[in-house]
Amino acid sequence: MYAKLYKHRWQYLMILPGVVLLFLFSYVPMAGIVVAFRDFRIGTSIWDSPWVGFDNFSFLREPQFWTVVENTLYISVLKFIFGFPAPILLALLINEVAHSKFKRFVQSVSYLPHFFSWIVVAYMLQSFLTLDGGMVNQLIAKAGGEPIFFLGSTEWFRPIVVGSGLWKETGWNTILYLAAITTIDPQLYEAAKVEGAGKLAQIRHITLPGIMPTISIVLILSIPSLITVGMDQIYPLMNSANMQVSDVLDTYVLRSGLQQGYFGMSTAVGLLSSVIGLVLVLATNQLSRKLNGEGLW
Amino acid sequence: MEKIAYPVVIAVLSLLCLSVIYPFLYMLAISLNEGADAAKGGVYIWPRSFTTINYEIVLGNEVIRHSYLITIGRTVLGTIGGLFVTLLAAYGLSYKKLPLRGTILGYILITMLFNGGLIPFYIQLNDLGLLNTFWVYIFPGLFSAWNMFVMLKFIQGIPEALIEAAELDGAGPVRALLQIVIPLSKPMLAALGLFTAVGHWNDWFAGSFYVTDQSLIPVQTFLQQLLSASDLSAVLGSNTNQEALARSSEMANITLMSIKMAVVMVSSIPILCIYPFLQKYFVKGVLIGSVKG
Repeated sequence: MYAKLYKHRWQYLMILPGVVLLFLFSYVPMAGIVVAFRDFRIGTSIWDSPWVGFDNFSFLREPQFWTVVENTLYISVLKFIFGFPAPILLALLINEVAHSKFKRFVQSVSYLPHFFSWIVVAYMLQSFLTLDGGMVNQLIAKAGGEPIFFLGSTEWFRPIVVGSGLWKETGWNTILYLAAITTIDPQLYEAAKVEGAGKLAQIRHITLPGIMPTISIVLILSIPSLITVGMDQIYPLMNSANMQVSDVLDTYVLRSGLQQGYFGMSTAVGLLSSVIGLVLVLATNQLSRKLNGEGLW
Repeated sequence: MEKIAYPVVIAVLSLLCLSVIYPFLYMLAISLNEGADAAKGGVYIWPRSFTTINYEIVLGNEVIRHSYLITIGRTVLGTIGGLFVTLLAAYGLSYKKLPLRGTILGYILITMLFNGGLIPFYIQLNDLGLLNTFWVYIFPGLFSAWNMFVMLKFIQGIPEALIEAAELDGAGPVRALLQIVIPLSKPMLAALGLFTAVGHWNDWFAGSFYVTDQSLIPVQTFLQQLLSASDLSAVLGSNTNQEALARSSEMANITLMSIKMAVVMVSSIPILCIYPFLQKYFVKGVLIGSVKG
């Protein structure tokens, strides 16, 4: 055994840094979950702080927590309903373009927003929507209307999140579908044309079935992300005026933990959402095994 | 029917492209316009009262200039270091006969399925003394489990005969890595390197929550702080361009909005400039990554 291990000493040496880094930044924090069951204060050691049982889970009785859960699900379901079909539609549209130069141009431009941070997107939204000097409000004022406080309103928050999410990621998410479309046998289209099938019929009977495996994989992979809404996107758009609808699980953990210092409680919230996430991933894996005959890993 | 449909498709796609490009043009126009004048409205594509004062003031700010260096530093170091550490592990694990291989792969996979959450992670950063240091940008993200599986998949696609032949010639694993695996993995490394670099460039979270020292924040964190600012003190303070400051207060022609747009353009222009050259890499990268790991 030792001889076998020694023979591969170079390989182990190469793997070692990764294993150590995962230990430090993934496994130690996993063990640190015990904070959820202790009364921890920064400056002391996790392991010395007193056990408090499930005291830190008292947030479950607070209505505010359930509002946060509702906000999270509301936004993630909305984002899914619009964000899932949009790239499929866009890919079908792009695929219909006959001029290859224009097609490449559309692809390049539509991938671009993916490379900018949500902070930049938030600036963009400000430049259009803010009350003092935002272009949309300037136009509304010109038309004689009342300016709208888009960025601080509870009604506009969700449309803005869904809309900016579509703007940023739809193009990028077409890449997989466009690649799947190129693997469809062109002879199928030729045969369909001979039979007199129009464009719509071709899309319905050839293109869509051709990319169905990709659609189902993307669908399956998006299930686990249903309980995380992406703090990256939400946090920059959040303010005291829209808090009632914008506070989601991730921002709740961030605020109560890092900003207010309730470490035990916010770890407990984080633990709860990690466990739900894990259950979703494992369930998804089972589902994928049933549907596709193989799991995700 | 189809004769009408095609122009409609072209028109819809053109509008979509416009919706991507226009916000950048608009922000550029505002940033190149005198603030007070832009606030009156009517500047849509072209600056009406052209000035570079917004940029002079933004680039005169020491915090912004310094944050730029931090961003460049973490992007270069984080990308090269990250690719190196992750590639080494992937290559080591590509030996199918390696004892304990399955155990190590399981150890890595678990970290993709479950994590301790933000607070225990933060406490660990604190215990390691990484909070408020430059290294908090580098070490935690150095090894990427996701990238490791993508690389592993890719390396296993390299014909084993090539590596075996090299080993018969007396090359050890290190030489096989340098002379065979790395040259053959260039497109994959370019793609993963690009994604890692963009991640570093765009990350504001670490700078906002793991660092309090203003001399350590990256550009994106500066942007995040300025996003909700109600006045210009963050930009006008610690500014070395006194001459521009004097000029701007004399004419009162900068506003919060015009400065904000200049800052955001300063952070975006590098990406806009290199983007056209990178395209061929990232499309490939997405497709490599989509193969089941």
